[in-house]
Amino acid sequence: MKERNGKRFSTIRKWFSGIPALGWLLGAFVAVIIEYYFGESLADMLGLDRIPVLFGVVIMLKKPAAIPGAFAYVFMIYVLPVTIIARITSKAMNWLAVLLEKLPLWMSAILHLILLYYILDLWADMSDYRLLLLKLSLIAIMLTLSLNVINGYMGEFSCSHPGFMALGAYTASIFTVGLFMNDRILGHALISTIPSWMGQIVFPLGLILGGAIAAIGALVVAIPSFRTRGDYLAIISLAFMFIVKSGFENLEVFGGPRGLGGQPDWATLPAVFIWAVLCVWTINNFVESTMGKALNAVRDEEAAAEAMTVNTRKTKMIAFMFGAFWAGIAGGLFAHVLRYVNPGTFGLKKLAEVLAMVYFGGLNSVIGSIVGAVGFNLLSEMLRPLEIFKWIIIPVLLILVMIFRPTGLIAFKHFDIREILKPKLKMKERV
Amino acid sequence: MPLLQVKNMTHFFSGLRAVHNYNLVIEPGEIHGLIGPNGAGKTTIFNLITGVYTPTEGEILLEGKSIVGLQPHEIASRGLGRTFQNMRLWRHMTVLEHVKMAHYSKLTYGLVGAFFGTAKRYREEGEIEEHSMELLELLGVAQFADQNVLNLPYGVQRKVEMARALAVKPKILFLDEPTVGMTPEELVGMMEVFRTIHKEFGPAIFLIEHRMKVVMELCEQIQTLNFGEVIAEGTPEQIQRNPKVIEAYLGKEEVE
Amino acid sequence: MTYFFQNVINALQWGSFYALIALGYAMVYSILMLFNFAHGDIFMAGSYIGFGVATGLLYLVTSGFFSLPHWLILVLTIIISMFLTSFLGILVERIGYRPLRNAPRASAAITGLMIGIILETGNLALLGARRLGFPSLIMTKTYEMGGVFVTNKKILVVLVSLGLMLALDQFVRKTKWGMAMRAMSYDFVVVPLMGVSIDVIAPLTFAIGSALAAAGGVLYGIAYPVLDPYMGILIGWKAFVAAILGGRGSIMGAALAGFLLGFIEIFVTMIFPSTLRDLIAFSIVLVILTFRPYGFFGKPYSAKLRL
Repeated sequence: MKERNGKRFSTIRKWFSGIPALGWLLGAFVAVIIEYYFGESLADMLGLDRIPVLFGVVIMLKKPAAIPGAFAYVFMIYVLPVTIIARITSKAMNWLAVLLEKLPLWMSAILHLILLYYILDLWADMSDYRLLLLKLSLIAIMLTLSLNVINGYMGEFSCSHPGFMALGAYTASIFTVGLFMNDRILGHALISTIPSWMGQIVFPLGLILGGAIAAIGALVVAIPSFRTRGDYLAIISLAFMFIVKSGFENLEVFGGPRGLGGQPDWATLPAVFIWAVLCVWTINNFVESTMGKALNAVRDEEAAAEAMTVNTRKTKMIAFMFGAFWAGIAGGLFAHVLRYVNPGTFGLKKLAEVLAMVYFGGLNSVIGSIVGAVGFNLLSEMLRPLEIFKWIIIPVLLILVMIFRPTGLIAFKHFDIREILKPKLKMKERV
Repeated sequence: MPLLQVKNMTHFFSGLRAVHNYNLVIEPGEIHGLIGPNGAGKTTIFNLITGVYTPTEGEILLEGKSIVGLQPHEIASRGLGRTFQNMRLWRHMTVLEHVKMAHYSKLTYGLVGAFFGTAKRYREEGEIEEHSMELLELLGVAQFADQNVLNLPYGVQRKVEMARALAVKPKILFLDEPTVGMTPEELVGMMEVFRTIHKEFGPAIFLIEHRMKVVMELCEQIQTLNFGEVIAEGTPEQIQRNPKVIEAYLGKEEVE
Repeated sequence: MTYFFQNVINALQWGSFYALIALGYAMVYSILMLFNFAHGDIFMAGSYIGFGVATGLLYLVTSGFFSLPHWLILVLTIIISMFLTSFLGILVERIGYRPLRNAPRASAAITGLMIGIILETGNLALLGARRLGFPSLIMTKTYEMGGVFVTNKKILVVLVSLGLMLALDQFVRKTKWGMAMRAMSYDFVVVPLMGVSIDVIAPLTFAIGSALAAAGGVLYGIAYPVLDPYMGILIGWKAFVAAILGGRGSIMGAALAGFLLGFIEIFVTMIFPSTLRDLIAFSIVLVILTFRPYGFFGKPYSAKLRL
């Protein structure tokens, strides 16, 4: 029985193994277009109140009676179109992928990303809830990846990520709200009424400022903790997180514990998407370079790294500040997506969440962090109808992952863009 | 000018004297041996010269310049390569990555290159990759380049470690018991490797070794250490005949 | 001056809670080199178990099954809760730590964190969101000594904590198991080869740590008789900081650091507005660690999160 299943599985895999990334993207694109135009009428036909927002899971959990309808919907809108389109266009897409391979890698990557962006944009266009979830997931990717640099690639245990996020969130918010918005707390805009296109130009400045402040905060943690070995980073960073949170709670100029609201609506989907791509790109560049690999050397054998001319202290400092920088950017985006920020957000709960995403996805792996962040976010939204039992199921899942894969689902994997984008069938095999 | 000179080096570990009044002169290209019973302080001397510890007293000159108080990586990038008694390979890295890593101090692409993948970065990474492959080929382990080091046999791991140390472009190479735990066949291979290295790159070698055969065959000058002090110094013949050495160390060896 | 002494008393009481919880962290950390992030929630669970035991005993007494003086109920509550909670500790070790013994240490920290969340949520699911009041087993009496007011509860908290710490100290020094634990903290590679099984020492460590946390939980319930499922989080993380502040390999150092953290927090609120408590207390911690990077009583050591 098991053998037959295995065989069946392998035939299915063979069926789809020749499809390049481009083919899957095209399939998804078609699926999203179908949903965009026919989703509502189909949902109506199947007796669903509205289109299932998260692949039907929420509906299934809320109303068991709707399970067949939701299944049918997901099957007809997503599963069938994606697989069929991907399969039948496989030859054409391989041919296209061969063409794209001749372009410089960055051009081909950008073309793929544009397609991916439009898929996500269309998908999120159908409900505000999806849009918010998508933005938060992209931010979670940035957070997870930047913490993975410290906890995974460098192998230390840092707890200060919520603190860095808070620094970035507040700095960026103070920048945008203070300069461009009329606000109860920060007073009149210094530069009032700027055209909306200007927003997209000054917003990155605010974010980068936030990232820079977070990186400076990282220096405060790094200087005492990297002098010695051991677990001191864990508690110094924890102390730092408490200090930042408590600091903002006491800063009445920025709203104190009540927080700071009224951020301009500049964290649009394209903006968040571009920042997330930038984050993945730079971090992947870094960890794949010999300078970044030095982190692994420091983690696995620091003495040997030193003896091989690696400046271990500098390496650790850079990685820590780099991770903090991206956490700061993510914090700034987070504040502008929610258009409100308060110190309570950046506490132990956030810490547990970010740690869970990192270890769930997999240490020392860019793709693992992406999977971990998206998976965790989707899961925690999908299980929302279970109310508090969600917080039993998710921890149990994570414990199981830790027991069976102690370094996370997809750990120690290279994220090779060329490998992902390349055609999956060779020309002669296609005959 | 000698390549490496140590003058009157003394070191205490929280009151305990580990090394006393140690002197050393190594000329370019020379092979120098350091022997002595277990716990005599041989590895401590390595760690003192390579900067892992800072000596309590004394002077260390590499090409006439003092290196006391420098970080190990600074000393290494001035041309001091080393291997470790227990290898200290990096568990999650491939053979090629090991050798590339030792080029760290020669990278000039900086953070901008690392973060944004500039053309300069890919050029430099290509260059060090090429150089690393050459080293691996020289030591006969190029076919393992893309494998994780932990999956390789012991003899190959030793060679990888040697290639890594050579990638620092050392003027002097410190080898800490490079043949420990080797089978006789592996030992013959390793001796060959030492000779190749010495012929191809001509670094001075400073060697800690327990196997008398290796030391006596390779070294031009030998020091014998006991309780942190040099008790005898000279050519292999002189050392073999020195009664103090026989008493402290070789005597047991001959009885065996 | 009386104000000062008043705060010393408060700090002693507050520090007792930190110290009792920090001991559990420190034991697991010193002996097994792991962070047990479920420990704050074990404290919470201990408090709830104490609530259950106390309520049960009171019910039996009032319905006339047997009669006990209230102080004896208190003693029984503490002992029974410690006993019961120690099984929770063993369970945590069994589920969250034993399967991960050869995994990276950080992974075990994550399972601990998750078990903590399960404990909180499980509690919430079982008992609902309402806060429970811990039954008052002893009447509050206030004594005055030269203008300083001391309640009998505060004295009780401090005395019981100190007594437990002394008992632990004797256990670790004098008994076979205690010595095995100490040996393990020096070398957990060789000691198992000497016939000391880590499968016994690890659960024992968790059990003792949890029992101490349970005692802390019951005492906390007596001093601040409002229980809620999230009460263990903040106090637990702070005790964790204290445990590391004490230094690895020094179990009593953790207790002292717990008291120190209590003193810092109380005296910060004595001088500054209470909202600044965390800010200043943790800044002090940061400064201390900058100058004593191995904690107060810790020895330099090298430990890596092995991946």
